[in-house]
Amino acid sequence: MTFASPFAAAVLAIVTLSLLGLPIGHAMIAGSLLYLSMKGLDLGTAAEQLLNGMYTSYLLLAIPLFILAAEFMNSGSIMDRLLRFCNALVGRWRGGLAQVNVLQSIVFASMSGSALADAAGSGKIMQTLMTKDGRYSASFAAALSAVSAVIGPIIPPSIPLVLYALVSDTSIGFLFLGGVVPGLLLGGVQMGLIAAQAKRRGFPVEAPVALRDLPRITWEAFPALMMPVILLGCLYSGITTPTEAAAAAAAYALLISALLYRSIGLRDVYRSLERSARVTVSIGMLIAGALVFNYVVTAENIPRTLAALLQAYDLSPLAFLLCVNLLLLALGCFLEGTTIILVILPVLLPTAQALGVDPVHFGVVAVLNIMIGLVTPPFGLLLFMMVKIANVSLRELVREVLPFLGVMLGALALVTLLPDLVLLLPRLAGYKG
Amino acid sequence: MLAVMFAAFIIQIVFRYFFNFPVGWAAELSVVMWLWLVLWGAAFVLTDEEEIRFDLLSASVGRRARIIMGIVSGLALVVLYGAALPATYSYVTFMKVEKASYLKVRMDWLFSIYLVFLVAILGRYLWRLSYLVRGREPDRAEPTQTSSGL
Repeated sequence: MTFASPFAAAVLAIVTLSLLGLPIGHAMIAGSLLYLSMKGLDLGTAAEQLLNGMYTSYLLLAIPLFILAAEFMNSGSIMDRLLRFCNALVGRWRGGLAQVNVLQSIVFASMSGSALADAAGSGKIMQTLMTKDGRYSASFAAALSAVSAVIGPIIPPSIPLVLYALVSDTSIGFLFLGGVVPGLLLGGVQMGLIAAQAKRRGFPVEAPVALRDLPRITWEAFPALMMPVILLGCLYSGITTPTEAAAAAAAYALLISALLYRSIGLRDVYRSLERSARVTVSIGMLIAGALVFNYVVTAENIPRTLAALLQAYDLSPLAFLLCVNLLLLALGCFLEGTTIILVILPVLLPTAQALGVDPVHFGVVAVLNIMIGLVTPPFGLLLFMMVKIANVSLRELVREVLPFLGVMLGALALVTLLPDLVLLLPRLAGYKG
Repeated sequence: MLAVMFAAFIIQIVFRYFFNFPVGWAAELSVVMWLWLVLWGAAFVLTDEEEIRFDLLSASVGRRARIIMGIVSGLALVVLYGAALPATYSYVTFMKVEKASYLKVRMDWLFSIYLVFLVAILGRYLWRLSYLVRGREPDRAEPTQTSSGL
């Protein structure tokens, strides 16, 4: 592959155009068109790839449906009930409200598949609660909302894992199960770090909730808490396909938030639909661009060349995974995660399989890594979002995020080194890998 | 309108799940809806602030440089998309030989949205170029607006 090859030109064009500020989806389509024209191929191929790819991937429909489900669950009164429930469980500890923030993220993670939706939904509420009467510093509260939102797409459902399933032909069900333990681990290390800091920094304690109130509070939150059970039940009982499970989840979310809790009206339903549609469109454009560009990558036989090249080095699976982790962390500092999943992972995947890395393990590790990338400076979408929501400076926010980043990287290393953490649950459910 | 389209396809799937309808046409309809939703939305609804882009560089340079960057990238897009237009047209019209298996609609109709999308994007960027040349700044990405699904 010489430097002047059409492929190099296409990659160069995509990078340059994105750097110049073109939306990444368009940049990928434009770069691929350049490749096709330099190769003297039919430019209509781009249309063919895009249309057929979008038209035949029934799986992708799960994405808008998961977004919609989370949008419905995000309404005020459901969030209140979940917060009261979490407060009743962990509020009595030192640093109680901080623990509530993390626990709430874990619970909400089992209903939503998106970290940014999680931060947008609960970030504001938690910010107000935690900074009231100056109990916690604004930057600590914002940092906590940012890092705990990372758990969202690790615990099922997860939009990034759906995208990974698309590019890797791995079962969504097993991927979702694989995310459960790492997600809980991530929450665990965050709560551990808060507990360790609590005494030194003098975090306040919440008024304990009497134990006899616990059943009532749980009962109030119960329908919302049932959502993950329904979702996973649909998936693993084999009654429905993943897309249908997502549809059922969205329908259930609408049902309880509109009829049972009466927390949203017709107007809110419309707004939720519109917002979800907008998010869907912008992810859809990325997927469309990636479909076209991946045709180019496959036509050039890049993944297989890379696999052969790396196999010659005789890497151990572990060494490979560690290299991938470093690569993804570095990329995650600058690139948006969806792009990494859709474009970079398909290139690496054949190598992983040739080296004997389990595709489910690989997917969960990669997604965990990319999600951590959402809170790494300088380019972390969650950081930008919390700066905006909490009105703190990026520098202060990053200072508070760093210790959490440390323990989260520790958790990532653990998940990388011990594949069983990921694979235990899928294997119990019948995964052979 | 976007929301109506969206609701339509959710209802299809929900119905299918609960009542076990003859499923073929519902599934096909929702896939078509998805295709149209994305391309239609990208062409006409999404604002510049919402699109997923890499703006680390463009946010850190001055106003003049940003305008020049906008013009260069916009021109490249217009040239490449424009060049692809004839071939795309012939691909889409060629698809009239196939029909969707349940809906009995000719595929060139289903896929025509891509032509609409291509023309609309061309129009949008030409318009954008026209005001960039006159020295107006492109819109900046807005972190709380970015519609990333992560």
